[in-house]
Amino acid sequence: MAKALQEITSASSAEYFSKNLQQVGFSSYTKALLTTIKEAVDNALDACEEAGILPEVSVVVERLGEAAAKGADKIRVKVEDNGPGLSVDDVVKVFGEYLASSKFGRGRCTRGQQGIGISAVTTWAQLTNARGVVVITKTAKMRQAVQCLVEVDIKHNKGVLKDKKTVEWDRPNGLSCEFVIDARIQLQGEGGVLVYLNGTSLVNPHLTLRYKILDQEWVEMTRVSEELPLIPPATEPHPHTMKLGEFMAHSHLFGRVKVGAWLKKGFSRISDGVLNELAPHGVKKNILEKSVDAATEDDFKNVFSALQKVKLMAPSTKSVLAIGEESLAKSIQRVGAVDFFSVVSRKPTICDFKPVLVETAVARLSDRGEKGEEETVSLLRFANRVPLQFDKAACAMTKAVQSVNWRTYGLNQPKESLPNGPYIIAISVVSPFIKFKNASKETVDASDELVEEIRRAMIQAGQRLSKHIRREEKEADLEMKRRHIEQFGPILVDGCCRIVKAGKGRREKALEGLAKLLGREAHLAEKELKEAVEHSEKALAELQEKTGILPSSEDTEVGATRRVTRRIMEPEQLSLTGMEQPKKAAKKKKR
Amino acid sequence: MTKRIDIKNLSVDMCERLLRDLERAKRPVLEATKCTLDNSLYNPKVGYLTPGDKKVQTELNVSSVQKMSRAIFILEILLRNLDVGATNTKREIYYIAKGEIKHNAALKPLDFADQNESDEIIDFICEMLECYREDVNCFANDRGGQTYSQQLVVHETMPDGTKAIIDLSRLGTAPFQPKNRPQDLKLRAKKKIDFCVIVESEGTANTLVNSGFTKRHSCILLGAQGVPSNAVRGWTKLIQDQLDVPCYFFGDLDAYTMQNIFRTLKAGSAGSLIRNSDFSAPEVRFLGVLPEDIKKYDLPDYAVKENDASESRALKKARDALNNDPFFKDKRNKGVADILKWLIVHKRRCEQQAYFSVNPRDPLMPEKIILDKIKNKNFV
Repeated sequence: MAKALQEITSASSAEYFSKNLQQVGFSSYTKALLTTIKEAVDNALDACEEAGILPEVSVVVERLGEAAAKGADKIRVKVEDNGPGLSVDDVVKVFGEYLASSKFGRGRCTRGQQGIGISAVTTWAQLTNARGVVVITKTAKMRQAVQCLVEVDIKHNKGVLKDKKTVEWDRPNGLSCEFVIDARIQLQGEGGVLVYLNGTSLVNPHLTLRYKILDQEWVEMTRVSEELPLIPPATEPHPHTMKLGEFMAHSHLFGRVKVGAWLKKGFSRISDGVLNELAPHGVKKNILEKSVDAATEDDFKNVFSALQKVKLMAPSTKSVLAIGEESLAKSIQRVGAVDFFSVVSRKPTICDFKPVLVETAVARLSDRGEKGEEETVSLLRFANRVPLQFDKAACAMTKAVQSVNWRTYGLNQPKESLPNGPYIIAISVVSPFIKFKNASKETVDASDELVEEIRRAMIQAGQRLSKHIRREEKEADLEMKRRHIEQFGPILVDGCCRIVKAGKGRREKALEGLAKLLGREAHLAEKELKEAVEHSEKALAELQEKTGILPSSEDTEVGATRRVTRRIMEPEQLSLTGMEQPKKAAKKKKR
Repeated sequence: MTKRIDIKNLSVDMCERLLRDLERAKRPVLEATKCTLDNSLYNPKVGYLTPGDKKVQTELNVSSVQKMSRAIFILEILLRNLDVGATNTKREIYYIAKGEIKHNAALKPLDFADQNESDEIIDFICEMLECYREDVNCFANDRGGQTYSQQLVVHETMPDGTKAIIDLSRLGTAPFQPKNRPQDLKLRAKKKIDFCVIVESEGTANTLVNSGFTKRHSCILLGAQGVPSNAVRGWTKLIQDQLDVPCYFFGDLDAYTMQNIFRTLKAGSAGSLIRNSDFSAPEVRFLGVLPEDIKKYDLPDYAVKENDASESRALKKARDALNNDPFFKDKRNKGVADILKWLIVHKRRCEQQAYFSVNPRDPLMPEKIILDKIKNKNFV
């Protein structure tokens, strides 16, 4: 141990992330492509929404050839938006510097938060293809657009600007970024690009998305809502959600004010009444009168621990953003033709002391696919309107869906699993403080409170859906009953007659009696169906009233029900094969 | 001799009731005895489980009309068989039904997708008529009951009236195999028969015979081959009643044997409540393996594997049996119930073949122990 201690050096955040890109979504070539598109699209949408512009985003994914690395392709990804654009200085910061963000710790429901994602994409492009990102930007104030190459100075966590030049661009403002990366293209499934793009359009009804993947034609998904989501302003932090260090650091943001005033101004749910309640917990009045600069560490500790003991109102839920049932209902139609659907937008609530809003849409697809009822439902998860595509099993949303007894609502469900059937279950969790399990934001932490909140939303959606499913079951039940009466009645009576050697007269009388008997049951089934139809139509009417939308599929089950309803006959009219119309009944009618 | 059930009359009655109700537009209801443990009664004087008052009702409605139509259709086939004296297995009945349907388009809705569906209907008919399927000439494979004796003579009357006499001493090494419905046989002993041993394991029964057990003793030896079939149950009853011979059951010491094999042989089962009178031998005694034999003969025994699903299920059932089974609850059967309690407490099991370990060089040792136990009344 004679060796001298090695020198301790410090590394930049860029250096850290460049060596740990798997933590931010680059753990495989498939994920790398998805993360690249996702980060660019998220930034585009956030920028448009901040600037009050209805977003129009285009995505191009092109294969340039084989990559130098084994098992990967050289892919060009280009994402363009009609957002406000960025100044060149900001372009360098956003694309070339880690943790440079306008949203860090602001407590708003934006997609991006820390300012890591897009810089990581630039790093990935730089590491795999030795070239950063080519950006074209134009703000409303610029006469001409500026094109430049931005790279990350990994040693110093600084953006490096190269090849800057002005270019002609046929739009008033916007931003385009182009990466050449090593990646692998997957269209469907867990890491599918199309799954991501469809999911994004589902929870962003105000987005017009155009995309061209490989050699396929351009696809345009036009917006279904002309309203921009209003991103609520951040609310002040709640004292119960803070730790002592954060609490003390927070005090320096408000200048030279008294502690009491700082508490009221800097936190939510603290009023004069609350300050008065601190006294019994050992906070003397003179501490509250002190300036925050003069307060000692002990004073802060004292106030902090007293605040933890005082009962406060739960944090405000005003800061969460809702997609809304109407927009969700419109959006779900973009996924494909659906027989019926239900949407639920819960009221904002507090889970783990964080405001959260859960919204869900459950739809049955008209296209049942090859396996139909046997296939597991498609579960689409969204956190702050960003699709989550990996590590499904550990996610709060998956756990919540599994915890619901879907059999009650007419769906097949293996034990403790997702239900089966041609359904899409989309769940959106919106919160200024989503607890992700990892930096690449793939899984939402399954805390008991959050799982319960999502579960409640799923139960509501299931209840609404079951009205339609029940209606189908009743239709099938009635059909079965009618078929049974017609098919088996005569066989039963004929068999009995042969065994007891009964004549034609007894046979006809028995058939008549059987028709009456079973007809009554059919009548009952018909009544139940009518009730189910009423429930279902009421649910549809409610849905239309709330959202203005009905399922788009032309040949819906609703239509099928009506056909059956028209065919229902009075019990007296029921006749069995091989049997004449009951004469007795006709006579009675005459009388 | 047991009275044969008149299936034809019962069927006509049932159909007549059905038809009459239909003519009046009244919902026909078919009633059958509930064959479950909660409807089982045990009277030690009677000696076997008898049915209580509970009934199962099947009502004609849109859901049951298919089942009832199928039942009437199969019943016609069975009645035809009874008329001409033909017998069939369940599988054959399935194909006969398929053939009928193939040749008559009107019957197409009755078609069976697989044999399970037609089997279910045959069982349903038997429940309605409260008979065994052998009564409707539907026989299963004969299983178990291979019998050896030098003294037993069986008189059989064939369906066509011809008679046969089977002297078991003349069969050489071949056993006599009783049919599933042995009640029509008549038994006679050439010389006084001292006892009858029913051995749970068919293999062990063969070993005893090969070593000359039946030659040395005036006895009847039969192999049960596990859970006793109708043949074994009816045959034992016949031996007990017609020859007045003490019968002993020789089997494993475990919960499954006590409940599923010995209890069924002695007092019948809950599933066959209506026919236990013909298919149980209340005088049968449990010869062993008894719990005390383990110590007395130093027999190798084993712990019950609680992680083995079937063994732990048998123990659980044993606990239920002590609380709910009227046979085990009756004080006359305290000895058997005590064995069950011992098994639950000690969680040990011992196989009948363990007697071969007592003196491994003496092949006659198990025989000696069996005789010794009978002589010393060392049974339950």
